[in-house]
Amino acid sequence: MLNDILIEAKKIAMYFPLTKGIIRQRKIAEIKAVDGVDLAIRRGETLGLVGESGCGKTTLGRCFLQLLRPTSGEVFFEKVDLCRLGDNQLRPVRQGMQIIFQDPFDSLDPRMTAEEIVAEPLRVHTKMRGRELKDKVADLLGIVGLNPSMAERYPHEFSGGQRQRLGIARALSIRPKFIVCDEPISALDVSIQAQIINLLEDLQGEFNLTYLFIAHDLSVVRHISHRVAVMYLGKIVEIANRDDLYQFAQHPYTKALLSAVPIPDPAVEASRERIILGGEPPSPMALPSGCNFNPRCSVGIDLCQQEVPPLHQVGRDHWVACHRA
Amino acid sequence: MNSLLRVEDLKTCFYTDAGMVKAVDGISYDLQEGETMGLVGESGCGKSVSALSILRLIPYPPGKITGGKVVFEGKDLLNISEEEIRDVRGNRIAMIFQEPMTSLNPVLTIGLQIGEALEIHRGLNKKETRDEVLRLLRMVGIPDPERRIDDYPHQFSGGMRQRVMIAMALSCSPKLLIADEPTTAVDVTIQAQLLETIKDLTSRLGTAVILITHNLGVVARHVNRMAVMYAGRIIESGPATEVYEHPRHPYTVGLLASVPRLDKPRVGRLVPIDGQPPDLIRLPPGCSFFPRCSHRMQQCSMERPELRIVGAGHLAACLKDLGS
Repeated sequence: MLNDILIEAKKIAMYFPLTKGIIRQRKIAEIKAVDGVDLAIRRGETLGLVGESGCGKTTLGRCFLQLLRPTSGEVFFEKVDLCRLGDNQLRPVRQGMQIIFQDPFDSLDPRMTAEEIVAEPLRVHTKMRGRELKDKVADLLGIVGLNPSMAERYPHEFSGGQRQRLGIARALSIRPKFIVCDEPISALDVSIQAQIINLLEDLQGEFNLTYLFIAHDLSVVRHISHRVAVMYLGKIVEIANRDDLYQFAQHPYTKALLSAVPIPDPAVEASRERIILGGEPPSPMALPSGCNFNPRCSVGIDLCQQEVPPLHQVGRDHWVACHRA
Repeated sequence: MNSLLRVEDLKTCFYTDAGMVKAVDGISYDLQEGETMGLVGESGCGKSVSALSILRLIPYPPGKITGGKVVFEGKDLLNISEEEIRDVRGNRIAMIFQEPMTSLNPVLTIGLQIGEALEIHRGLNKKETRDEVLRLLRMVGIPDPERRIDDYPHQFSGGMRQRVMIAMALSCSPKLLIADEPTTAVDVTIQAQLLETIKDLTSRLGTAVILITHNLGVVARHVNRMAVMYAGRIIESGPATEVYEHPRHPYTVGLLASVPRLDKPRVGRLVPIDGQPPDLIRLPPGCSFFPRCSHRMQQCSMERPELRIVGAGHLAACLKDLGS
């Protein structure tokens, strides 16, 4: 599986214009949500994408799916550049790609029954109807651990965890190859999170799925991912195999993130060194010169304020964008 | 140390169309002066409602405090007049909420908002208030306070807004700070900053803290004592080290086992707690955790377990003795 790339972004950038004025809108600035990202995801793997809110991880996920059309760059899905396809040409390709959203309350239509929700992608993309469709939905509900007798219920009759299962059934319905999981568990209760993580892992094995798993919880990302990419202000600052990233983090931002994760054990916490980052991430409207992280970095040198550090290889499958690494 | 707050058999209900919800169903605990206690549980377990009940901030209808006592500095807060409780709120007991954007007034500058409590509770004049607000902003680590004091909440980032909330909460040097999920809406690096700030300032002021959170990691780092809630009741409490090392209630055991840990080797498969969170309108007659419990016995479906002593200062409400 290792070198068989399913989907790959090349030099992807997504800028959002910031305008002023009501009648004659002038562009006064740009928000560089994603700023030149190269990222390849291999068939059958889970790539964890972590970073703080506003770093562009959700935008990047949507660029992969062409839910947002990138400002520049290319996205190859099974060797086809999606950015060149028109909406009609994209439709058949979309069968191969799905998304699971963070909030199972907002992402399900409250007026549709569970059955209608799960059946919708099948109605759009396949010719399945009637009895066959009903059976297929019942089958899908069973796969995600919901009782098929719940098919007639509306979303508000389900708990948060059950709703997320419904969202997963919907994503699975047309047998995608690639699923973007955009913070799929962060709205769920702690005791339910593990259920959903296990379900996602089981489904990956069963249907040979490839995941882009976007999250901010580093413990969960370590658990589920094969490789992990860390994003900061629109750029990937470090990417490595899971164990390398967690044991041998090179980028000062990755190190700070890891040390900020609280560990549920008072004895461990008492003896733990912590890097508390000063300041806050700068606004993506006014990025610093050089490395985006330099205003908060404790190991910065002059070069960091002048030149953007490129991602360079520091180990097998381990890449870092830092002048000091 | 002296007892600062004693909550006894507190009960809060909400009357909804679907039925009565016992959001807080008879909880009791003590808090010493200067102590930090963690109140842990999942959404809907009653942890926030129990904190709001202390300050009588439950909207009626639909909510109502139906029983119990909240003795703070010798007075039962549930039994004093509206004027007296107003003098406690924000002055003796302050509160920080989860979402700083919705708890700040968007059309007032933060200087005015922080100053409000100072004028009411400490009777400062305009000039004194402004100086004091500047001091507070500096204290909570807001850079360039002279410039920021006349800014509006939307001009601050999430982390900075929460710092404003901390400044406001600590402005009258309260004896007790209730922090309700203070870092849930912010990023992990900002979370670390904020929790250190709260810890540092409250220990300097000698303020006791009730830290409400669903994050077991946050509790581990910041509290001496903790209580775990489930379905409106405290099901386990004790010194934090004791509860983490020797959890005695199957729910606590399950929670601790279900989260992946960064400091331990990666496990092959997580062990979740089965089932769904309880429906508070239709709770089972015996132990509320019964339907999800992996240690359940027949007796548990009939008899509701009371908290009993299982170790030094360690209480658990389970009929089965997990320790033995």
